[in-house]
Amino acid sequence: MRRELTITAGPIDEAVLLRARVVPHTMGAVVHFLGFVRGDEQGRPITALEYEAFERMARHQFDLLFDQAEKSWPLDSIRLVHRVGRVKAGEASLWVEVIAPHRAEAFAAAQFLIDEMKRVVPIWKKPI
Amino acid sequence: MSVRVSFYSIFRDLAGAGETSVSVAAGATVGDVVEAVLERFPKMRPMRKSMLVAVGVDYQRFDHALKEGDEIALFPPVQGG
Repeated sequence: MRRELTITAGPIDEAVLLRARVVPHTMGAVVHFLGFVRGDEQGRPITALEYEAFERMARHQFDLLFDQAEKSWPLDSIRLVHRVGRVKAGEASLWVEVIAPHRAEAFAAAQFLIDEMKRVVPIWKKPI
Repeated sequence: MSVRVSFYSIFRDLAGAGETSVSVAAGATVGDVVEAVLERFPKMRPMRKSMLVAVGVDYQRFDHALKEGDEIALFPPVQGG
């Protein structure tokens, strides 16, 4: 399975990510998800979120999640980008792509990766 | 033995430092180190219940036995995405 993890202080360039997409003829489903920073946090306006990662551990925990996803579904590819540092409201902080033979597996794996990331990957955010 | 402890997110703010080191007896557990840290940084004590602990890059429970050279990280619940 192809797996790519990027933790970056730069913006998420979706055009570059889409150009690098490879869908083999045996694969019927591509699910991708973009998470954006909203302009409010618990009802109060914010201008940005400041993301912090314990990067060495975050990479390891993402790897463990990718392993679990690979065991659970017949995936061809997982690519995930998470930003750190300041991300302005209206900008994307997360991009996830899963490629699988069928849509049920692709949706389920993408949902799993995002849910579990929010539980175990050591990344935090502070409203600005 | 001496154990290095790092803090992340609000824990670093509460401690006023990114890391510290504590001396504990050989065979001490994660819980022993956490108690020593809370003695030194009492502002962190209200966060004890929700505290997450890693040894190296893996999560561990409070009863996990430590060995010389282990690096511990303490942090609040994670919030990625």
